[in-house]
Formats: sequence, structure tokens, C-alpha cells
Amino acid sequence: MAEYVGIDLGTTLSGLAYLKPDGNPEIVPNADGERLTHSVVFFDSHEDVKLVGSAARDGGEPDRTIFQIKRFMDDPEHLVEIDGKKWTPAEISALILSKLKRDCSKICGDITEVVITVPANFNELARKSTIAAAEMAGMKVKRLVNEPTAAAVYYTHSQGVKGRILVFDLGGGTLDTTILEVEGDNIKILTSEGARHLGGSNFDDILLEAYAEQYKKQTGAALYSDERHRRRVLQATEDAKKMLSKLQRVNDTVANDQNSGIARIDLSREHFEKLIRGMLTRTVFLVEQALDSAKLKTSDIDHVVLVGGSTRIPKVKSMLEKMFGKVPKSCGNVDECVALGAALFAKKSARIQEVCNASYGTLAMVYNAKTKEEKLMNSIVIPKNTPIPCSRTQVYQTSEDNERVIEVDITQGEDEDAKFVDVIGRLTLDVPPNRPKGCEVAVTFSYDENQRVRALVVDKQSGRSKEVAVTYKGAGVLSDEELKRRSHHLRAMRIE
Amino acid sequence: MFKILKSLSKSLGGGKAAEAPPPSKAKAGSLLDKVNKGAPAAAQVEPPKSAEELCGITPKMPKDEIKAQLKLLFRRYNRSASSLDAKLRGEADQMLDAIVEMREKHFGEI
Repeated sequence: MAEYVGIDLGTTLSGLAYLKPDGNPEIVPNADGERLTHSVVFFDSHEDVKLVGSAARDGGEPDRTIFQIKRFMDDPEHLVEIDGKKWTPAEISALILSKLKRDCSKICGDITEVVITVPANFNELARKSTIAAAEMAGMKVKRLVNEPTAAAVYYTHSQGVKGRILVFDLGGGTLDTTILEVEGDNIKILTSEGARHLGGSNFDDILLEAYAEQYKKQTGAALYSDERHRRRVLQATEDAKKMLSKLQRVNDTVANDQNSGIARIDLSREHFEKLIRGMLTRTVFLVEQALDSAKLKTSDIDHVVLVGGSTRIPKVKSMLEKMFGKVPKSCGNVDECVALGAALFAKKSARIQEVCNASYGTLAMVYNAKTKEEKLMNSIVIPKNTPIPCSRTQVYQTSEDNERVIEVDITQGEDEDAKFVDVIGRLTLDVPPNRPKGCEVAVTFSYDENQRVRALVVDKQSGRSKEVAVTYKGAGVLSDEELKRRSHHLRAMRIE
Repeated sequence: MFKILKSLSKSLGGGKAAEAPPPSKAKAGSLLDKVNKGAPAAAQVEPPKSAEELCGITPKMPKDEIKAQLKLLFRRYNRSASSLDAKLRGEADQMLDAIVEMREKHFGEI
């Protein structure tokens, strides 16, 4: 049995690693001989089989092929309908995890417990969906770990560095920036910032637009008219993007499926960099946000570490070098280090101090005695970057006489302005009648090591209290009973 | 200064407590919806024409103030760009483009 296993469940690629007896992690290839598995699922119409990986990506019909399901893990209403059956994002992810478990266990032994990586800014629901996906695939989640944390664990293990490290993780679908401190075997995360829809696939889309524009210019026709052909051209743009990380210029030919002729695409690295410059500027903002959040300057960072396939783009490296005044280092194979780090994390988690990825609080009317002004604000109880697990309490007062129900909105976000935070739940507590306003109410938020939050409200006068974990409802959120039923069904499926 | 607990429904004159809503995706027209969509909706009522107007940058604003303003806006709209609401996400994306444009104009290209 493989004791310490880590899985990188990525937007475009997924990988599994285990810890060898010598303490070093190793990637386990899938049954197709690939070290990383494309996070793509194809539902075949002829045989009752689900294809996962490159076979699914290359050959499937678009209507029956699911790409980038990870982007929907936080959407409680997202469902994929195939042949009349509705699949949740957690179930699609479970198919990918099942393929990894089944294939890899033939090499490294039975896999029952795993550490799974998630983007640093994955919200509550996305984390819960990831845990549900693993359970459906027949694996218990020992811990969820943030992707840049896992990458940093691998980097420090393989390079033996110490000091302050900034991890710049630009993957297929998301960007995460994490700052951490390393002292010997101990790692302390200082902060993480993320952008959910900023990654390599955005660059592919931008290139696709450029291809379509050139095609139109040369032939007068549209480059694609259906999803199948759009996917094919998208694959070509992804290949061109990869080549431009090594070459200054790429020549390609493309045609549509309407016999409108062939167009020659001439693309330079300079032009590509110009096309994605806006996106890259957003990444700079995010790095600055991380530095501000940790109250650090660029000169306080000892190492800049690159993670994720999109950091192969030369402009990404030069941009960070210019910003920090030092050459950023690649974390070994930038596609594999998250899974490798997750396997290490499975063993070393006790030596790694993580922090709260967001602020949690409630909405409060804040009264300023001097100005006599009242303002509805987001009142933070647990600030972002508080070491976890943690628990914090804030005491509030009731606002009305004879208040019978106390309602506490649970907010997620740093902004004081209530318009710019998410309300992720509400807790209600019945209290005795005939009390004046101004009764004290203690609100306690607890944050566990899997980055999940609980809220406790205590009415101090009556002693009444209520505690809840944030729960979500929606067509795409499975009940515990449904989860069990679907797990059973999924384990009997043919997944190749 | 003291803090009075004020639930969203009460502060907006709403009724009884509801189930925990999905993040950033309350039912259309609900009170939660109004708060979550407050800022971008306000921007939509009177659509500013330039990136300067969108970002609240005035011609005589000092550089450090511009920088602080752009950082604040980026933090806010980067968050909105992850919204489950496609409309909100689209508006956030437009704001992020405007923020980038302002940065390039005042501080140069990356």
C-alpha cells in the first residue's frame, strides 16, 4: 500500500505522486504511459465507457467531452447532461481521480488515503466538492493543501533553500502567488493571493482569436463554425504557444472545415507577448497584492520560484526578474512539482504552518460616536493570513428592542465595504422576548486545517447558542446520501 | 466606536432569515443579490466612457494616489472576476482591463 500519496487535480493536467521509502517523491505514470493525465473526460456513445486523459482530449465528440471541470467546482448549480443523466462537477472530477487511482495503484500499491491540492483561493464549496470527488473515487482525503504550498514544499525539499520564498504558480486555469518562510524543515506560509480565471487557457483563447482574425483576412471566411473544429484549432494554438517559449517565430497553416482555403499563420514571440501583455500585467498586480498583504517589499524576497506550465513563457520570467532584481528559479518540472510536493506534504504536514486564505466576518452597523454616523460594514472576525487552525471571537450588540431573532451573516473577503465581499451563509438564533437593544452577542469563527469555516453565535444574556458549518444548496451539491449512492455507482463504471 | 450586529436582511429592511445562500449567487432580486451586485450595477447605470473615469483617476492626482487607487480596484475586481454570475464576471473583466490600461499609462508597460 502506498502510504503517502499526493494528487494534483489540475484544470488541464492531473498527476499522482507517492513517497518512496527513501523519502523522495516520485510521479506515478498512468496506464497509457503518461506521467500526467489530461483532466478531460469523454463519454462514449457506443460503449458504456468513460475515457479520461489524452484519448478523451484527442478523439472525442465535443458534446460528449468535458474540459476544465475544475473551473466549475464552486458552482452549486453547474450540471453536465450526457444521455439524460446529469453529472455534477464533483462526479466528473471523481472520474479523473478514479483513473489516477486505478492506474497508479497497479504500480505503487493500493491507494486509500491522499493529499489533494487545490488553488489557494478555492472557496468553501470548491474545497468540499474536491473532497466529495475523492470520496466517490474511493479515497479518503487526509488533507487538502494549497497548490503553491505543495510546490514550495517540493522546492525546499529538492533545493535545500531557506529564507523567504515567493511562489508564482501560473497554471492552465489559475494563478496563485504565495509567500512563505523556510527555516530548516519548518515552513511558514505568510500569505496567498489568487486569480481564478487567469492561466494558460486564457492565452490559448487570445491566440485563437488572432488565428481567426488572420484566417478571415486571408480567406474572407470564418476559421471555425462548430465546437469540434474550434477545439482542433485551439489545440494548434496551444502547440504554437508552447513553441514560442522556445523559438522567436512560428509558422503554421490552418484551414476551416468548409473548404474555404488554407491560411498561413506567421506569429512572432514579440507579437504573442504583446497579445497577452494585459493578462501578464494582472499577474504583476497580484504579486504586489501578495507583497502588500504580507507587508513585504520585493527586496525582502530571497527566492522567486516558478510553478505551472505557463511559467515557461519567457516574458513571465523576464517580467519577474525585472520586478525582483533576481532570476526566478524553476521548481524542477513545473508541471509535476505540485503533485510531488503533495506527496511530501502527506508526511510533513505537521511541520507546515498554513494561514487563513481569506478574511471571515459578519455585517455590522458601525457607529462612530464622534461623527454620530452609522455605516453598514464588513466586520472582520478572522483576518486573512491568521495561522490555522484558529478561532476568533468578536462581541456585538443587538440593534433593536424586543429582538426575537438574531441573524448573523457570514462574510468572506477583506474589503470593509459590504458590496465587495461574499455572503457565504447565515446563522439565526432565537432569543427571549422583551429585552432592550444593546444585548451582547459573541460571534466566533473557527477555521480548520482544510480551510473550512464554522460559525458559533452565543447570546450572552440567555446563554443560548448555535453553531453551523457553512453549507450550500443547489442542483450540483450532493447530499451525503446521494454522495454514497453515486460513489457506489461510480466504482462499478468502466473508466479507461 | 462600537459595533451593532446587523444582518443583511435587517439592514436592507428584509424579512425573516433565509437558508445559507450559495456564494455570490443569491436568487435574482433577493437582498443578498442587491448587496453582492451593488458596485458593478452602479457602474452600469451611468457607464463611464474612459478608463480614467472607470478607475476614478483625475488628471491632477499624484502618482502614489493613482497607484493606491489601482491596487484597491484590482483587489476588488479580481475578486469579482471569480463570481459565479457571468454578468458580474464580465463587468469585473472590463474593470480589470481599465485598471491595466491605467497602469500602463501612468507607470509604463511591464
